[in-house]
Amino acid sequence: MKLLYASAILTLIALGLMVWSLFQPTPLPVMVAMSVGQGLGTAAFAAYGYVVVRDILRLRREKRDAE
Amino acid sequence: MPTDPLIMLSLGLAVAAALVLLWFLLWRPKLTRVTKVALLFGIGVLPIGTATTGNYVGFEATKARSFCGSCHVMTPYSNDSGDLKSTTLAARHARNAMFGEENCYACHADYGMFGTIKTKLGGLRHIYLYVTEYRNTPLEEARETIHIRKPFKNSTCMHCHSTQNPDWNAVKEHASLVERVRDGSVSCASEGCHGPAHPFSKRPFGGAP
Repeated sequence: MKLLYASAILTLIALGLMVWSLFQPTPLPVMVAMSVGQGLGTAAFAAYGYVVVRDILRLRREKRDAE
Repeated sequence: MPTDPLIMLSLGLAVAAALVLLWFLLWRPKLTRVTKVALLFGIGVLPIGTATTGNYVGFEATKARSFCGSCHVMTPYSNDSGDLKSTTLAARHARNAMFGEENCYACHADYGMFGTIKTKLGGLRHIYLYVTEYRNTPLEEARETIHIRKPFKNSTCMHCHSTQNPDWNAVKEHASLVERVRDGSVSCASEGCHGPAHPFSKRPFGGAP
């Protein structure tokens, strides 16, 4: 769950950086949004995917053991 | 406040994602199927939508004259383009509805197959040089030291002025130089023809601005 909270916080930071470039479309915000912002967003989504897949595998294993 | 529909869409998606994430962080629900699906939207679908629309808006923003002029060394060029009284080549093109606020990009972009990519890479190089070398350069010094990297290609002008139009060829200077204009040995933007394009680019190429 901790990884998922970290993922949510990372996504919020990424969204903030992307929104900054919408309000101030100058070189620094645009470049930061397209590099750091999207990098953080991708990392957060990867973390989410890892947690969800691990949880699904755990549930399957528990179901199999119960049978 | 931005009014572009795409910016509003991007903002809407970001706000929706933020609401889902705040719900998750503040309420701390159990990791049920509903939570997973909500987070799929909050961490995946909605932010990807924000990034996609934001990228498009960002790439469009890089074409604007205000974007080029936001680095102080480009301010005089940008101001000249926006000056309704200026008679420079850049300013006259800026007053053309085909170019308008995107006149820097329209004339300095590459138009080949990979033109957009080459132009964006060139832009990254500009930003790198600005941050590492020219950020604190006084404007007067920048005018003397900053110059175009390669000679301005006639093919950029010929993107619109094809040199095939009878009206264009009716100008006797054009008719006598048409082959040299096409092969690039005479620049459209040279002094005596249509140049200098900017009031600060009066020296020959390689000499300075």
